[in-house]
Amino acid sequence: MAAYLSHVSCSATFTSSASKNSFSPSPLSPSSIKVPTFSPLTVKPFSSMFTPHAAHAITLTAHATSTPSSIPSDTSSTTTFHGLCYVIGDNIDTDQIIPAEYLTLVPSNPDEYEKLGSYALVGLPSSYATRFIEPNETKTKYSIVIGGANFGCGSSREHAPVALGAAGVKAVVAESYARIFFRNSVATGEVYPLESDVRICEECTTGDVLTIELGKSRLINHTTGKEYKLKPIGDAGPVIEAGGIFAYARKTGMIPSQS
Amino acid sequence: MVMAPQQAERKPATTGSVKTPMTMTEKILARASEKPHLRPGDNVWVNVDVFMTNDISGPGSIDIFNKEFGENAKVWDREKIVVIPDHYIFTNDERANRNVDILREFSMEQNIKYFYDIKDRSNFKANPDYKGVCHIALAQEGHCRPGEVLLGTDSHTCTAGAFGQFATGIGNTEAGFVLGTGKLLLKVPPTLRFVMDGEMPDYLLAKDLILQIIGEISVAGATYKSMEFVGTTIESLSMEERMTLCNMVIEAGGKNGVVSADSTTFKYLEDKTSLPYEPVYSDAEASFLSEFRFDISKLEPLVAKPHSPDNRALARECKDIKIDRVYIGSCTGGKTEDFLAAAKVFLASGKKVKVPTFLVPATQKVWLDIYTLTVPGSGGKTCSQIFKEAGCDTPASPSCAACMGGPKDTYARMNEAQVCVSTTNRNFPGRMGHKEGQIYLASPYTAAASALAGYVTDPREFLY
Repeated sequence: MAAYLSHVSCSATFTSSASKNSFSPSPLSPSSIKVPTFSPLTVKPFSSMFTPHAAHAITLTAHATSTPSSIPSDTSSTTTFHGLCYVIGDNIDTDQIIPAEYLTLVPSNPDEYEKLGSYALVGLPSSYATRFIEPNETKTKYSIVIGGANFGCGSSREHAPVALGAAGVKAVVAESYARIFFRNSVATGEVYPLESDVRICEECTTGDVLTIELGKSRLINHTTGKEYKLKPIGDAGPVIEAGGIFAYARKTGMIPSQS
Repeated sequence: MVMAPQQAERKPATTGSVKTPMTMTEKILARASEKPHLRPGDNVWVNVDVFMTNDISGPGSIDIFNKEFGENAKVWDREKIVVIPDHYIFTNDERANRNVDILREFSMEQNIKYFYDIKDRSNFKANPDYKGVCHIALAQEGHCRPGEVLLGTDSHTCTAGAFGQFATGIGNTEAGFVLGTGKLLLKVPPTLRFVMDGEMPDYLLAKDLILQIIGEISVAGATYKSMEFVGTTIESLSMEERMTLCNMVIEAGGKNGVVSADSTTFKYLEDKTSLPYEPVYSDAEASFLSEFRFDISKLEPLVAKPHSPDNRALARECKDIKIDRVYIGSCTGGKTEDFLAAAKVFLASGKKVKVPTFLVPATQKVWLDIYTLTVPGSGGKTCSQIFKEAGCDTPASPSCAACMGGPKDTYARMNEAQVCVSTTNRNFPGRMGHKEGQIYLASPYTAAASALAGYVTDPREFLY
């Protein structure tokens, strides 16, 4: 009988995602975890063997090329995003993305996940006249966020990429990222943290219509007619496509499926 | 005063014969990944020695752990996990309170050895297990040890680098993974070296040093990199001062910060941990990405002006900035020595503060120290007495409190657009509550001096 977390005083009950209903307890088997080559910044093949950890007999085997034949080598080759963009500046920190007072919301709780989304970028100063989410709305109409340098700096809170994803953002295109935000985006699979070669934030305006072709690492601004090259998302792409590191590990057969 | 970044310098050998030279961070990660040698850029699976979580990120991490590993799954090691409620504790916010309950349920289920629980919010002293701010609690409870790998679901986990270990912050999903496996995939960072030599002037604190550095390299200057602090000045710093230094590594975008373990470290750890540890040190021939040198004798008290930790300015050049309040607290500036420093300035002045001055000790132990330790030169007065005479607010219940705003009823939260001098770590818009609030980050000396003047003030105005 699966134990279930029950809570003393709470207004929202905890429910996991739909997969829980068909969940037959088969936790990650200690003897069969294989490790994905997870390399957000560079595609760097490596191989290593681990001896079982003394306290916990996990054998982790890392493979230089880890994609089994059943998965296409580039699952994101046809992924395209099309939508309006919202342009913000440099050093957009996690307090602006999701102010700390909303951190009591737990991202893994579906109701609270939606609520987090409704507060995305609400911390931006009032100098941003166009709000990211309209009053009384819970989702944004801007599916692409354009940022400058050091996007997502500040806290390690995973609520930041989660809030953006929950609000309806598909991709962020920034000049550069703070590392924990980048890692969290990939680990959760919430948004694609794409990098531009030039400062796109100075050439796009909120409301411009954009298309991002992930496979070609290309961004097209239909409103201005300009095209831009993006840095390839590399190994991080399939992880986000799958829905985060755990989902990716299951999809590629590296850890046993839940059902 | 600051030289342009240059290539690594050769220094006298710190170790014996070494096959391939590595920096301290590289060595720690090499040992943790059971590899003889690592290079920056390598992705490796690292064994985690200690994992920490708190009330903000714990519930989400626990959920992911249960979802991915199964409701009946056990954590990888019940003695290597430290669960510390600290962020939103003394509030009536139901969700915040629920989050502490979630931590408790999990800790009971998993029989977590170190869970610093709080049940009675009306009186923090009635909770014998409760500690307070996680990063300070980790140090005070002996969970920080040289040579180890410490991961936590909080960006200021880098604080523990002061102990010569690899410590960095991670998000909930990766935390869930660590809870189940005790491992994480990490990329080895290159190291930036910061050399600070010379005797520390008595008007400067470690906060000034790190503000100097962040102002120098910017909030992204250390992104994906390790920051290693060396030099005679660093060696003269106490553990708490080293913690302040490493605490704000994340504000420069740094992955982790390190200070070599030495007799100061060992002495601090003597009565705190009985677990064996083995410090590691950078090899003399190790490669560093860049090196920055600072002549300490030329440094002056600093502030970081709104709205960025790298918006550096001399405190004395901001003396026309009228302020509305002062906040002394947080993992950055709410430790025992931070309060002793503030008390020193109040004592030297003998006058009362001109603005509301909020004091939030980081932990129960710090709170106790404020009420029991006597301040040198005061004729036997405690910090608390000096604070009272200076007209400061009564020291509050230990927690993170208003450093990051929090629920609306959080103590000292900035609910109006005011100007605040604070010993905390970030001053981005809305950090302490109100979006138009203006936060000047400063050392405890500078914060106390500013409280007395009602303006941003260089502490030398009072210390001499």
